[in-house]
Amino acid sequence: MSRISPVTGHYVRVEVDGLEYKVFYLENGSGQPLVCQHTAGCHNHQWRGLLEDEEITANYRVIAYDLPRHGKSDPPENTEWWKEEYKLTADHYANFIVALCDALELENPIFMGSSFGGNVALQLAYRRPDRFAAVIPVEGADYSPGFYLDWWQHPHANAAQVCASGVWDLMAPQSPEADRWKTWFYYSQGSEAFKGDLYFYSVDHDLRGKLGDIDGDRCPVVMLTGDYDYLTTPADSRRTAEQIKNGTFIEMKGIGHFPMSENHQVFRQYLLQALQVIKEKTAMA
Amino acid sequence: MTAPPRLSATEWADAFTRASNEDPEIQAHGKYFTCSYLLDMDEHRFVVVVQSGRVVQVAVDPGPLDVPYQFAIRAGTETWRGFGVPVPAPMFHGIWAASFQRDMRLEGDLLVLMQNLRCVTRQIELLRTVGVPV
Repeated sequence: MSRISPVTGHYVRVEVDGLEYKVFYLENGSGQPLVCQHTAGCHNHQWRGLLEDEEITANYRVIAYDLPRHGKSDPPENTEWWKEEYKLTADHYANFIVALCDALELENPIFMGSSFGGNVALQLAYRRPDRFAAVIPVEGADYSPGFYLDWWQHPHANAAQVCASGVWDLMAPQSPEADRWKTWFYYSQGSEAFKGDLYFYSVDHDLRGKLGDIDGDRCPVVMLTGDYDYLTTPADSRRTAEQIKNGTFIEMKGIGHFPMSENHQVFRQYLLQALQVIKEKTAMA
Repeated sequence: MTAPPRLSATEWADAFTRASNEDPEIQAHGKYFTCSYLLDMDEHRFVVVVQSGRVVQVAVDPGPLDVPYQFAIRAGTETWRGFGVPVPAPMFHGIWAASFQRDMRLEGDLLVLMQNLRCVTRQIELLRTVGVPV
């Protein structure tokens, strides 16, 4: 067996909203594209288990990118970004993902994201049901206030540790300790982007009163949320899915807010269910 | 895994001190872990005093003005009992979870809590093996 993983990394240029980005992504597999967004203040290693999941990559081309300002994707190439406060908006976030899928020439992609990636999955279903075959919002909801906090960047505290230990409780105690610590470690790397990401998560993302406009037949929506998630609880996601036409919600047991990163072995069982639901819904359409 | 035995308040203070001072993570990362905080468990209250990663005092049920502290973690007995088992149920699994979804309150100088968040988080997790005295 080769010591070299089949996962490969690439950069792709993406232009959107007047900004130029050089975007890093990891990919493996072949078939329908499954585009994966990491959580706020993090990067694509959260999807490390999925990227090497032989059963899923046999049928799907898994693409896990770093959002600009995260991991190996730099901030914009053509602005003096250091002179502005970073605040991610729903408009720019959704536009970026569509531009990325266009740059990669993806046909019929399924979009999956967790936390602020789950919320933008809902935004994509709402805004661009024509561009995505389906979305899988993980730990997502119509509205998720409460996490746009100054503590993430407070200069009198160790921001790396505040971000990393501040999200520790979002994971389930049953998840393997080594995977929880990897997730902690990723979070120690992203404090400068975390708060700006959470501007989208807790402030600008608000689909209350708009969920009825999401056409879940044209773009199926299958939501997954773990029972240890205190920020977007199963009740929040269930409430959201119930308001989407033919929306589906699956509660995940014994797992938290970073399911793909804290416990891929548990998460994958629910993901396989979600992919099956999408397959059935797509076949009926 | 069964729940740890329920200790008296004094026994618990000793057990918690020992667990923290023997914990590899806190001892590896606690060089600058220095603060004092109140654990308000309704039936009992404790002021934990930490210096350079070592618990140097746990004041048991101090009087109103006896022992100063920088921040407080308060919750009812039912919530604390949920913390004191090997695998806590959802929303009993940390101070953020219980503050967002239960009756836990974080009060006082929260900057000091944030400055020491890594080690305080670990200390609270020690309740899973030490138990709680309420």
